[in-house]
Amino acid sequence: MKGSRKTQLIESIMEVVRIVAGMAIAYGVALLILFLISDDPAFIIKQFILGPFSSPRRIGSIINLAVPFIICGISMCFMYAVNKFNLIGESIFMLAGCIITFVGVKIGNSLPMIVMVPLLLIIGAIVGVVLAFIPAIMDRKLNANVVVVSLMLNSVVAQLAIWILRYHMRDTTIGYTASEIIPESMQLPNIFGSLKIGSGIIIALILVVIASILFFKTSFGWKMRLVGANPRFAKAVGFSTLGISFAAQLLGGAIAGIGGATEIMNSYKRYLWMATTGHGFDGLLVAVLAKKNPILVPIGALFLAYIRIGADVVNTSGDIPYEFITVIQGIIILLVAAESFLSGTKNKLIFREVQKEEEKKKALQAKEEAK
Amino acid sequence: MAEEVLRLEGITKIYPNGFMANKDISFSIGANEIHALVGENGAGKTTLMKILFGMEDCQEGKIYINGQEAKIENPLDAIAKGIGMVHQHFMLLPSLTVAENVTLGVEPMKNGLFDYQGAVKKTQEIADKYNFKVDATSKVKDLSVGQMQKVEILKALVKGARILILDEPTAVLTPQETEELFEQLFALRDSGVSIIFISHKLEEVMHICSKVTVLRRGQCMGTYDTKDLDESKISRLMVGRDVILKFEKEDPKIAQNVLEIKDLVRINSFGKHVIDGVTFNVRSGEVVGIAGVEGNGQSELSEVIAGLEGFAEGDIILNGKSIKGMSVRQIRDNGLAYIAEDRMVEGVAGDMSIKMNIMADRFDKKEYKNGLFVNDKKINEEVEKHIKDFEIMCDGPDQPVRMLSGGNVQKVVVAREFTSGANFILANQPTRGIDVGTAEMIRKTIVRKSREEGTATILISADLNEVLECSDRLLVMRKGKVVAAFPKANEVSEEELGEYMLGLKQMSDKQMEGLL
Repeated sequence: MKGSRKTQLIESIMEVVRIVAGMAIAYGVALLILFLISDDPAFIIKQFILGPFSSPRRIGSIINLAVPFIICGISMCFMYAVNKFNLIGESIFMLAGCIITFVGVKIGNSLPMIVMVPLLLIIGAIVGVVLAFIPAIMDRKLNANVVVVSLMLNSVVAQLAIWILRYHMRDTTIGYTASEIIPESMQLPNIFGSLKIGSGIIIALILVVIASILFFKTSFGWKMRLVGANPRFAKAVGFSTLGISFAAQLLGGAIAGIGGATEIMNSYKRYLWMATTGHGFDGLLVAVLAKKNPILVPIGALFLAYIRIGADVVNTSGDIPYEFITVIQGIIILLVAAESFLSGTKNKLIFREVQKEEEKKKALQAKEEAK
Repeated sequence: MAEEVLRLEGITKIYPNGFMANKDISFSIGANEIHALVGENGAGKTTLMKILFGMEDCQEGKIYINGQEAKIENPLDAIAKGIGMVHQHFMLLPSLTVAENVTLGVEPMKNGLFDYQGAVKKTQEIADKYNFKVDATSKVKDLSVGQMQKVEILKALVKGARILILDEPTAVLTPQETEELFEQLFALRDSGVSIIFISHKLEEVMHICSKVTVLRRGQCMGTYDTKDLDESKISRLMVGRDVILKFEKEDPKIAQNVLEIKDLVRINSFGKHVIDGVTFNVRSGEVVGIAGVEGNGQSELSEVIAGLEGFAEGDIILNGKSIKGMSVRQIRDNGLAYIAEDRMVEGVAGDMSIKMNIMADRFDKKEYKNGLFVNDKKINEEVEKHIKDFEIMCDGPDQPVRMLSGGNVQKVVVAREFTSGANFILANQPTRGIDVGTAEMIRKTIVRKSREEGTATILISADLNEVLECSDRLLVMRKGKVVAAFPKANEVSEEELGEYMLGLKQMSDKQMEGLL
């Protein structure tokens, strides 16, 4: 009757086209801005596009930068799947990094890496669960808006992390505020030689696999997506929507915690964050780009890392401020989140397809009648 | 033929999900004419009128008003060109008065402020002119459905409508209110308003319309003079075969009580008793119909039985266990299947696949799991089987449900609810807005399950034909109470039912004894 195989195909193709076109337009605007504000546009644009690939070190930087984006993107996929925009991941990332440094420095080199790393990841996850619990429970019991609560809580937790750094783990032998150097047993080794890629990418990819299996192959993942798609329906077929969305938020929190822990172990020698790092919000951007599908998260994360490194390159090698990249991000979010962007084209394509089919049907009928 | 007022030419509309709702439709309407637009549910009547009223755009086709080609971009355009529409679902502001609703958008002003007295005067004038008995100063929320409809018509008239579209105006009315509406439509026609009357009630069409345009599956089957047609001819044009109006079924084999409702009271957040002391039983093997004008507690009752909302007093006992304090899951495990009134809200998750929607109530059960994981193989087998058994027209089990037509969405719902193994089915408006074939399948399955499997069923429906056809016992609800009970649904006349639904008559407890 309706919805031919082809209309479904057109829908999915147009979905991809829409996201790619969104990114392309944002990219185009970035080039235009560079062109307008730079004294030497040709050089700068070349730097922006090709700069990130100009040395193995920079390619490695893209991957290393993508690691926290991937993990936080996965974290936001869980929140987003049940339609709870719990943004606590931002401060979880920071506090988890802080706590695992504290614990790691206390333990020192007494444990081998194979024990140390998983232990610290688990501690990071626990920090995430505890923090994510607060906005989730306030949303559930007090009907307090989860976005507002998590945003406010981010400031509180950030101050807590700063307090811990200043008064309980500061290395007084150096001239700036930072922890002592973390023990070698928790510094993730580099892989792929000259690319200097930290092995944190392995943790990130394992999380992608686990999350994808959880989303699409377990009954919990099914329940989660069902609750996100239509909570009233989920309730009508007998699921505890509150319990499931609660569990999804705690899982998302745990993953953000693992993200903070991994970042410290992958890219730092000392803990020195004096403000939240923005990774929680980057995670949201990645999850939106990936359409809350964990399988697509690495792609969104790599794209984001690529333009960030590009911005870094033009910042250091030219006259462009790093901040211009925020403009580009804003445009991407607008275009990707705007569901009806290009919907006119999609509808036209479907219209044409249906017409073609009708004509085919007619021709077939005519043939049969002729017989 | 009278002077031509409106002509549609070659209208084609395809929805973004690929559903062709209208295909090359052409017809015209003369002055002083009540013109019926008939067709099954889903034949494209409403879509066509939405195009005419500027609420939808069409891919192809032209509209001529008084011989001039007209581009209608939006409803304001349509109103400016003298087209008025009364929707199936009223678009009124309940907390405002009749006069305020009627003059909304064309408010009379005095010293730069809204002139309420002027609005009342204007409303009353136009109401008197066409002999509409409504009080311009009463609040819309205090009106009956029939009166609200009059307000809707007045709203169109006050803006100078010369072409009035009525989308299934009698669906929500009792037989008495319907008669009154017809009188007013005749008066309007005689004063020079052309009326497009959308309906699938053929006797009404024969009664009031001079011309009929028939739509079938989005295509125009032609325009006819009513005098050349009779009901069976129209129905053949509509569905290509005679609609089976009588429904053969065996006598029920009634056994034990499956559902017992005792003195049930539910109070809404405004303190109103939306269910007010309802008591009745449903026994194994029987279908109990609940008729009533919509909004008299039927939806509230089904939400409570399905465990989605709580209740204040009384009790509901399903298979010997009170459902008080039970979760929806526990109630379902105890034997409930639920076909929800609004299928897109409580019946499916539109963005999710057919597979997920069919399995929604059971993928969590042991037999569909391999340890932590879902048992893909078993689930796929079962879903394929249901898609085949219920003839769901789709690309495959992974297609999102939102891409299906209404009838196929409902098939997804019943494929789940009819196969859950429950011995009690709560069906609220199970065939609303879907094609005749699917509706018939659903009705037949409900009856068959009661006869062969001894399922107990509550059938709530606004379609009188349906409750009369399918039910064994019939109850009527009004203002949250059961006001009438009949032992044999197929022996009740629509007229008699209408009197109870409207509150002209009410049975005493004694009359209903033994029937609840």
